[in-house]
Parts: sequence; structure tokens; C-alpha cells
Amino acid sequence: MRIALAGNPNSGKTTMFNALTGRNEKIGNWAGVTVERKEHPIKKAFCGSNENLVAVDLPGAYSMSPFTSEESITSSYVKNEHPDAIINIVDATNLSRSLFFTTQLLELGIPVVIALNKADINEKKQTVIDVQALSAALNCPVVETISIDNSHDDLAKLVSTAISLCGKTQKAPYSQGEIDLSDKKVVEAADRKRFAFVNKIVADVETRKILTKDKNYQDKIDAILTNKWLGIPIFAVVMLLVFKISQEWLGAWIAEGYEFENGTVIPGLVSLIDSFGQWVAGLLEGAGASAIVSALLVDGIIGGVGAVVGFLPLVMVMYFLIALLEDCGYMARVAVVLDPIFKKVGLSGKSVIPFVIGIGCAVPGIMACRTIRNERERKAAAMLTPFMPCGAKIPVISLFAGAFFDNAGWVSFVMYFTGIVLIFLGALLINKITGLKIRKSFFIIEMPEYKVPSLWNAFKSMCDRGWAYIVKAATIILLCNTAVQIMQTFDWSFQEAASADTSILATIAGPFAYLLVPVVGVLSWELAAAAVTGFIAKENVVGTLAVCFVGLENLIDTEELALMEGAGAEVAGIMAITKAAALAYLMFNLFSPPCFAAIGSMNAEMKDKKWLLGGIGLQLGTGFTVGYLVYTIGTLISDASALNIGGAIGGAIAIAVFAAIVIVLISRANAKLKQEYALSGKR
Amino acid sequence: MTLLNAVEGKEYIIQDIITDDEELNSFLFSLGCYSGEPITVVSRRNTGCVISVKDARYTIDKQLAEAIIV
Repeated sequence: MRIALAGNPNSGKTTMFNALTGRNEKIGNWAGVTVERKEHPIKKAFCGSNENLVAVDLPGAYSMSPFTSEESITSSYVKNEHPDAIINIVDATNLSRSLFFTTQLLELGIPVVIALNKADINEKKQTVIDVQALSAALNCPVVETISIDNSHDDLAKLVSTAISLCGKTQKAPYSQGEIDLSDKKVVEAADRKRFAFVNKIVADVETRKILTKDKNYQDKIDAILTNKWLGIPIFAVVMLLVFKISQEWLGAWIAEGYEFENGTVIPGLVSLIDSFGQWVAGLLEGAGASAIVSALLVDGIIGGVGAVVGFLPLVMVMYFLIALLEDCGYMARVAVVLDPIFKKVGLSGKSVIPFVIGIGCAVPGIMACRTIRNERERKAAAMLTPFMPCGAKIPVISLFAGAFFDNAGWVSFVMYFTGIVLIFLGALLINKITGLKIRKSFFIIEMPEYKVPSLWNAFKSMCDRGWAYIVKAATIILLCNTAVQIMQTFDWSFQEAASADTSILATIAGPFAYLLVPVVGVLSWELAAAAVTGFIAKENVVGTLAVCFVGLENLIDTEELALMEGAGAEVAGIMAITKAAALAYLMFNLFSPPCFAAIGSMNAEMKDKKWLLGGIGLQLGTGFTVGYLVYTIGTLISDASALNIGGAIGGAIAIAVFAAIVIVLISRANAKLKQEYALSGKR
Repeated sequence: MTLLNAVEGKEYIIQDIITDDEELNSFLFSLGCYSGEPITVVSRRNTGCVISVKDARYTIDKQLAEAIIV
């Protein structure tokens, strides 16, 4: 038996779904968090004697006539898949809007029970709804719920009501009757009647002391947070705090340990992993294991995976903070603040939500693009989200900051800042290529009520994402590291390679190394191998570098996110590249195409091979160009004689080809635009 | 006049919504924003305004504010 959860956006469907099923699906305080249908069995505690109850979470919708792609998921599901019952979640603070959809659902002939949600907010605002009168007027059971607080028995009551209704028919309180759905005027007239019907019910059952149209304290907060001058600085400070807390304070303390003033030291995660590695090495030595096995296990597996797991605290603290931001209602305000700026480059203000989520991970970030209504704006946002350095790129940034720049904080700052700049430049480029017409674009976003973010929900979301990170480290990254370790130990005849340069890995990565010469100035199959494994998962860059450079794993305290005292220069020496090259290589890894998982979700959002290829091309071109420019200009400034002339010329040719492609595409778009304007001029 | 010139805090009745974007029109309709319904500008910003329709708040940009005739 399937029970569908349907209702307006941001009415609390997913929160209720999570409470009913024990799942941990993404929630947030803005309209349009859920973009896909989700199904899961309902917890036994709510089912009573019934078995096989499945809850179906649907994206929010204002009406049965779909407006955005996620709304059409909802209407087509309830129309075509015949759920056994519908729980219609109604935002009790906005009855007058919500009941429009409710009356449409009631006409479908599927049993409906109404969950009058957010009853707690109404209480605070002294709004009283006569539940019995509402139930009578709609001819449908109504249960008051507070889905953010599951200490009540309201959910059990809701589910049992839904079960008891199954198979029965409810008489719809309002019926549209047979009308010509293709005639816009007729449909609008029918919808007006429906709203009139809803308005009458609301007038009968609802008593409000505080009117929504009057200014309240929330508007005062809005006035500050979305202030013309303060809005952007406040957002910058908030994001800076997120980074500081996760990467330098709390996150770093958990990772590296914390020393109190009296000298007491709490060991961090990394020193624990380190001791574990040494313990295993000791065991192996005692057991008389061969050097190869020992190297594989200790350096390859524990070292490589440990390098990634060591960053877990930083990433988890960041997820926690982002979850708090999503939950409090601030995201919609940020969209308002940034819309005027984003509009100038042809993006919607709403694309800031994907970008911020993308700081944690690009995959959910790209999925969050779906609420952007304009197709071109949506695809552009999906294409640009990966430029925001994600959690998996933090280890890469830290490694290079430690090895070449003495752990300077500016490295990290420059990377995020460059990401933002590239988003803007990329958006401009996409405009030019797709031939943005001068058109009216409208922006409308609902301002959800602020609420105190739930620490528990943020904690759950953090654990969920943290667990996914560990699983990734224990599967994909472990596998890659093992493969890399084996491939660089043996040659093609499966004998232990005489030197790493004759290993399987070196011969495979060799050709790619030529492509990287313009970025790093030297021919290095190790760097090429790391960049290639980075496409599987960006953390691999660190793991592969640690494995590949002989001796490096002893110098990078891989787990310590940084280098052992004084080892920086040595590592720099082993990698045999200059500072300029290191910075260039780092940027190439950050701004070239993201990992396969992110490319997969780009594909899912764009649903268009041309856009996908264009996106990957743009990212590849950008990563290469940025890397090339940083290396070439950096080298010319620091030590012009060290410039690899051949690489510089080769890179310039590659970029010229890239630029030529872009210019051809732009001129084609312009020609097309001219043609269209000419046609419209004739009319 | 358009919503752009509306007085803050005063309730107006929507006369018309001028847009050739039918999808947007029907979206606004489903929010309860259509001719004959009340609308209030809660506060004005230089890039648009915050409006109250039914029992919700929305931020809209100048272009949309200009399209709503009250």
C-alpha cells in the first residue's frame, strides 16, 4: 500500500517523510528542496497491524497544472500511478493558498487525509483554525501535525486515518465539472471559482489576530540581511565563518588535535590513523611479510585512504554548518541579495543555492538547480556549479598549500575566490555562446519564515554525508589507491618494476603527461596519473601523489593534512616542480571537469548531450587555460629563464584552438540572433 | 499604476498582470496573485520589492513589479 505525501513547497513533506520512514532525506527551509520522488517503507511503529506501507515523498506543487519540471513529477504521479491514499500536507500558516491544491487533489477520487502542519507556528501567531469545521467543509479528515517535532502521536493518528480511508470514496467538496481544458479563458474562470470556494472556507474556519500583510519582526531581519549595502558583506562574512570554523578552528582541532593552555593535548583523528598505520607496519614486520605486501598495505592502503579520512572532520563540520544555513531560512535571502548581480551575467539569483551547496559536494548542488525555471539559466547553473571547490577538493588544496606555500591561508582563499570569478566569467561566456536575447526575466522567490535551525537535523545530515565520505574512502578511493600502488610496483611482465618509471602506471600515464607540460613545465607521469585518477574522485589526487612519488609518503604526514616539520622543501624537491607550477597544477585539478559522479548529475539535469559536452569542454578549457596562465605568468615573473619554452608554445596553441572554437560558436550565435531580429523586424 | 509606485503597507487590489509569459501568469495565479485579489507591498528595495499575497511573502524584481497593475 502506497501513501503519497503531496502539498505546497516548503510545507514540511520531506520532514514528515523522514519522521515516518526514519530516512534522512535532504530538508531545507526554502521552496523546492525536494526535486525527485522518493519511496520508503513506513516505520513499523506507525503501521499498526498493516504491513508493507510505503510512503512516497513528492516535490512540492502549488497546483495540478505543472509550472516547473519537479511540479510535473507530482501531478503525473498522483494522476497516473494511483497511490492508495494521499496525505495532503497543508501549511496551516497559509491556508488560503494551500487549499487550492487540496481541492484539486480531492477531485481525483483517491482518498485524502489532510495533515494541517506547522500548527505550532499558528499557535505562536494566535491564528486559530476550526479543524472540525474545516474537515466538514472539505468532507475530508484533518489531523493537526507538527512534523519538526515527532514527540506527539499525531503522525500515528495521521497514518491510521489514511489506512482507514483506503478503498473508500470521498465526495469532493468542489467539482470543476467538464470544461474545455485547452481553452485558457475557460480554465482561468474555473480556477477563479475554485479560489472563491477556498476563500469562503478560509473566511469561515480561520481567525487571525496578526495579519500577514502587516510588517513584523521578520521583515526587520530581512531589511538588514537583504540590505542594499549590507547584504553582500553579511553573506561574505557568513561564508567566511563557515570556512574558518570548518577548516581552521573546530574541524582542524578534531583532525589535528587540540592543545590546551596547561599543556594537555587531545589527540586528533590524524594521529590516531598514524598510530594505526605504524601498528600495522609493526605487525607485518613481526610476521615477516615481504616488503611489497607491507608497502601495499601500509603506504598504499592505510596511507592513501588515511590521507583522505584525515580530512573527514573538516568536511563534516562544513556539512553541519551548511545544513544549519539551509534550515534557518537564510538561503532564500541570499538569492534575493545576489539576484541583481547574477542577472547581469544571465543567471538567476536562485543559482546561489546550488553554488553554496556545491561547496559541500557538487552532486546535490547540481541537483538543486532544478528549481530554476528558465531552462537556459538552469543548465548554465548546473554547468558552473562544479567550479565551486567542493569538500573532496579540500585535501588537494591543503596538500599543495602545505608542500609549497608553508600552509599559507591565502591559498585556500584564492581557490574559492577564483572559483567565484570563474562562475561569473563562465556565465558570461555561456551567454555569448547561447546568444542570450534581450528579454524580460522575472524573479520571484518565496520568503520562508525564519526558524531556529534544528541542531539534531544538522547533526543527522552531517553524519549521513560523513558516512558517505567514509564509504567512498573505503571503496572507490581504496580501490584506486590499491590499483595505483600495484600498477606502479609492477611492469607489464608483472615483475617488480626495476624503477617506477618502467611500471605499468608510468607507461599508461605517460601520454597524458605531455598534455600537462604547459601547466607544470616538466614531463611528469606521476602528476598526470594523479590528475587522471582525480576524475574518479578528487581525493585521489592526494592519494595517488602520495603513492607515486617514491618517498613522498614518508614526508607528507598524509594524515596530518600538512607536512612534517621542515619537510615542505623536501616534498617540493621530490615533485621537482616550481611554486608557480604547483599552484598551476592545483588550479588545473580544481577547475577542470569534476569527478564522474558530478558529471553524471550534470547529465541528469541537462538532459542534453550538446550541453553536457559543452559543459565538459568549458571546464576542460577553463582548467587548462587557468593552469597555463598561472604557470606561464608566474614563471615569467619569478624566474623567466626556467620557462619551458616548448610547453609554453604548445599550451598557447591549445588555448588558441579553444578560443577559436569559442569565437566560432559566438559568431554563429550572433548570426542567428541577427536573423531572428531581422525576421521580427519584418513583422 | 504599477506595483512599483505602490505605497508600502497599503493593501491594493490587483487590476491586471501584463505579461506574455503564460506560464508565469498561471504560476502567479496558483499563488493567488491574479486580478481582483488583494496585494500589499511590505517593503520596497531598489531592485524590486517584498510583497504579501494570501498569507505568504515573496520577493519580486522590478520587472515583475512593473507587470502587476494595481
